[in-house]
Amino acid sequence: MASTQHVLLSPAELAYLHAALSLTPPIRPDGRAPAQFRPLVAETGILPGTNGSARICFADGTEAIVGVKAEVERTRLVDGATAGTEWKEGGSARGEGEDDDGGDKAGDSDWVELTVEIPGYRDDDAGTAFLAAMLSEALLADGAFAKRLWINRRFHWKLYLDVLLISPPLSYPLPLLSLTTHLALLATRLPRLKSEGDEDPFFDDDWAAARHLFPRSSSSTTKESARPPVTLLVMAVGNNIIFDPAKEELAVADVALAVSVAEDTTAAATTAATMDLDDAAAPAARSLRLLSIRTIDPPSRLTPPGVPNAANSAYGATTAQKQPEARTAEAEAVEGVWRAPRGGAKPLVMAALVQKVLEKGGVADEILDALDAVDLG
Amino acid sequence: MPLDTSAYSLALLRVDGRRWNELRRIHAQIRTQAAADGSSYLEIGHTKVMCVVTGPSEPGSRRGAIGSTGGGVGGGAVGGGAAQSKGAEVAVSIVIAGFSSVDRKRTARGDKRILELQSTISNALAASLHTHLFPHSAINISLHVLSQDGSLLAALINAATLACVDAGIPMTDYVAACTAGSTSTYAANDEAADPLLDLNHQEEQELPGLTVATLGGSDRVAVLVCESRVQVSRLEGMLAVGVDGCKQVREILDRVVREKGRRMVQEGTVEKGVGLNDMDVD
Amino acid sequence: MPREAEPSLNEKQFIVQALGEKLRLDGREFDQYRPLELTFGDQYGVANVTLGKTRVLAKVSAEVTVPYVDRPLDGVFTIATELGPMASPAFEVGRPTETEVLLARLLEKTVRRSGALDTESLCLVAGQKCWSVRVDVHVLAHDGNLIDASCFAVVAALRHFRKPDTSIASGQLTVYTPAEREPVPLSWLHSPFCVTWSFFGDDGETALLDATWAEEQVRVSSCTVSLNRHGEICQIAKLGGVPVEAVALLQCTAVALTKAKEFSTFLDGKLAEDAKRRNKGGFMAELSSENDR
Repeated sequence: MASTQHVLLSPAELAYLHAALSLTPPIRPDGRAPAQFRPLVAETGILPGTNGSARICFADGTEAIVGVKAEVERTRLVDGATAGTEWKEGGSARGEGEDDDGGDKAGDSDWVELTVEIPGYRDDDAGTAFLAAMLSEALLADGAFAKRLWINRRFHWKLYLDVLLISPPLSYPLPLLSLTTHLALLATRLPRLKSEGDEDPFFDDDWAAARHLFPRSSSSTTKESARPPVTLLVMAVGNNIIFDPAKEELAVADVALAVSVAEDTTAAATTAATMDLDDAAAPAARSLRLLSIRTIDPPSRLTPPGVPNAANSAYGATTAQKQPEARTAEAEAVEGVWRAPRGGAKPLVMAALVQKVLEKGGVADEILDALDAVDLG
Repeated sequence: MPLDTSAYSLALLRVDGRRWNELRRIHAQIRTQAAADGSSYLEIGHTKVMCVVTGPSEPGSRRGAIGSTGGGVGGGAVGGGAAQSKGAEVAVSIVIAGFSSVDRKRTARGDKRILELQSTISNALAASLHTHLFPHSAINISLHVLSQDGSLLAALINAATLACVDAGIPMTDYVAACTAGSTSTYAANDEAADPLLDLNHQEEQELPGLTVATLGGSDRVAVLVCESRVQVSRLEGMLAVGVDGCKQVREILDRVVREKGRRMVQEGTVEKGVGLNDMDVD
Repeated sequence: MPREAEPSLNEKQFIVQALGEKLRLDGREFDQYRPLELTFGDQYGVANVTLGKTRVLAKVSAEVTVPYVDRPLDGVFTIATELGPMASPAFEVGRPTETEVLLARLLEKTVRRSGALDTESLCLVAGQKCWSVRVDVHVLAHDGNLIDASCFAVVAALRHFRKPDTSIASGQLTVYTPAEREPVPLSWLHSPFCVTWSFFGDDGETALLDATWAEEQVRVSSCTVSLNRHGEICQIAKLGGVPVEAVALLQCTAVALTKAKEFSTFLDGKLAEDAKRRNKGGFMAELSSENDR
């Protein structure tokens, strides 16, 4: 969809942009550093009618709203064999729930339904469906998320995430939608369960007593507190790696990746266990885990190539020469002449891209910290 | 019946404590989004809608954007024989968020009800906007419903009007809308029934009601939609209350626009123009 | 997409100017309908309505199906409208135009949502079996005022329709053929009719009933009121267009009520006539009195 949106840039402009972004350090049209995100405004809890909601405005004016609704749904019993044997753990495990990896709290990816609405695009548009698939894929990648929706053996929460892009899709909206979804999930609260065991669920009416879907521990960063994943858009031009590309930058990308990362809770849990005593001294370092990588087809592949002067009849090239010349021009790059990228990305660049996302104190770290600071109301 | 209408006759107070002629709180903002040509946010009670206007722009560019939706109903063929090519086309698309109602419900975009809403808004605005100034172009209005609590069409019309004002599209006057209802049930022809102003969701479910939109402060009705059974004799009272409510809504919308204008002059975003002098902007 | 040829500027001006002088092209009064004709088919539930050159055929059919899960006590009632190229070259099959969507919505609101047909009476076995009544509206010729003609055809067809009689004995549902038992009419509660006003002039000061296609193309706005003869409004739809004085709209509704009453009497007369025609030799009367108990 938006990744293949028409870019109204001339080959000369594309060539200029590409050249500027290939410099070391790259010069971005809006003067950002390569790993710098656009400034954004975020708020949560904007819709009292939802279990959780968030709104993010990027500085370029694109805006997204995510609302999360939860409904109780009856779990389809798959294995009748174990149904009778071990339901003792059920309700009591829910209290301190999360780090308990009791086997019977299996989640199902059907429990989460994510829809994306982009104004002007049909909801069955390939681009919209791809965005929705990428966002839900990251969410469900490790299966831990669906486990949070477990109520008891017979019931679970069904979570509906409705992702709305409010503004026209100026730049590829994936990072915006992902960050907004992340925030909305952080803000999501589910009513406190009052019933015990496998009886029909019964909840506390008091919204103040509702529990966060992703509980925030009091000493927020030191103790491991699981968070939903974020999906970042990263692109490479030459050997430069650029985060959060604007539309014009994406138009000259050699390769664009959607990388989903989450905090590695299992690793954090083990370190927390060993360093239990001095966890106050432990730095805010979180170990990040790679959940998924998707290549995004950058619109640069569809841009028209520039014509070098040598092959341009306006500069004296004869038509007879033109055909073979044009073919060689495709093969070898001429300085200052735009040529749409062909073929895939170099493995080294790909590795570097992923490395850059995951490194300590890197962009993903920064983003998670920044989102942490948002008041969850 | 969840709504006990018998309680009304005792204290003359409605379920949410309003009198018969009271509007709910209307809160509106314009220029909420930097990327759009015009934008607005409007709340009537718990009904919350956002509107983004792009255009007037070349209709060709809309292929990739708003227009390709099956939902965008072109309303160009409205207005004194204005051929589609002669005036700008007003394309409206409405997205009703799945989380907007109490139960999560997903509304397909091809839903006839939504298509009807789209075409109503498009036709209502096309008659008020000076579309003939922008031949061969399109005005795309995209509306998002974030929360529903009755008076949806009215909220959508008001938000679209505000966003068009923000987009700077010349128009005759505000198209202001609100709902009106009656305390009578449809069969009963009781003369004692009171008309009600601005129905919430609960009242909309139980009582007959209609949506009115008028042009500016006049009595001229641009939109009149009634979807429930009601005695003919009730209509006059409901319409009168509705038209009166529209005048109040118009004042509120006007105040929002003036307030924003005043603030923008203060902040120096725009220069105080000559024409602004008579708008008591100081 | 094929588009209907628009009337030329001269034609438009001619119509508007004539209306300004209180003249219509076909010499009718402003609040006069074109000659309305209604014929029923040999089968039950087929109504053929002509209004001037506009012609609409409505056919009702019923079958036994499973009710919707969320409404186990209600039958299924659908009205299907399809405007094909037969009515006008501007209509394509499979791509609903704005006209078609609005027509479908209006019929839905007028007939279905106003509760003209008691859908609970269509239920046979709660949650398991019910009648599904479907009305197909075919527009055979389009010369304006489709809405009023279609609505009249739908109501006429539904009131004419007889569904097969059924009985339930020890959980077994039996549907009788017409030879075994006389089919029974639907449980009909009230007959709503649409009356469409078209407005002309800069401020919509001229109001016409039953506009022809040429007039419809020139009008600045329209308002459809649906009423039954008890004076109940089932629906009003003035969906945008040039604003019209509220008082004028009230007058329009008052006139619409008299028109709806006329429609109602006309339809009752036609139905009685048809019943008499079918009732040859009083045999049916004997049968039905037997069934009445």
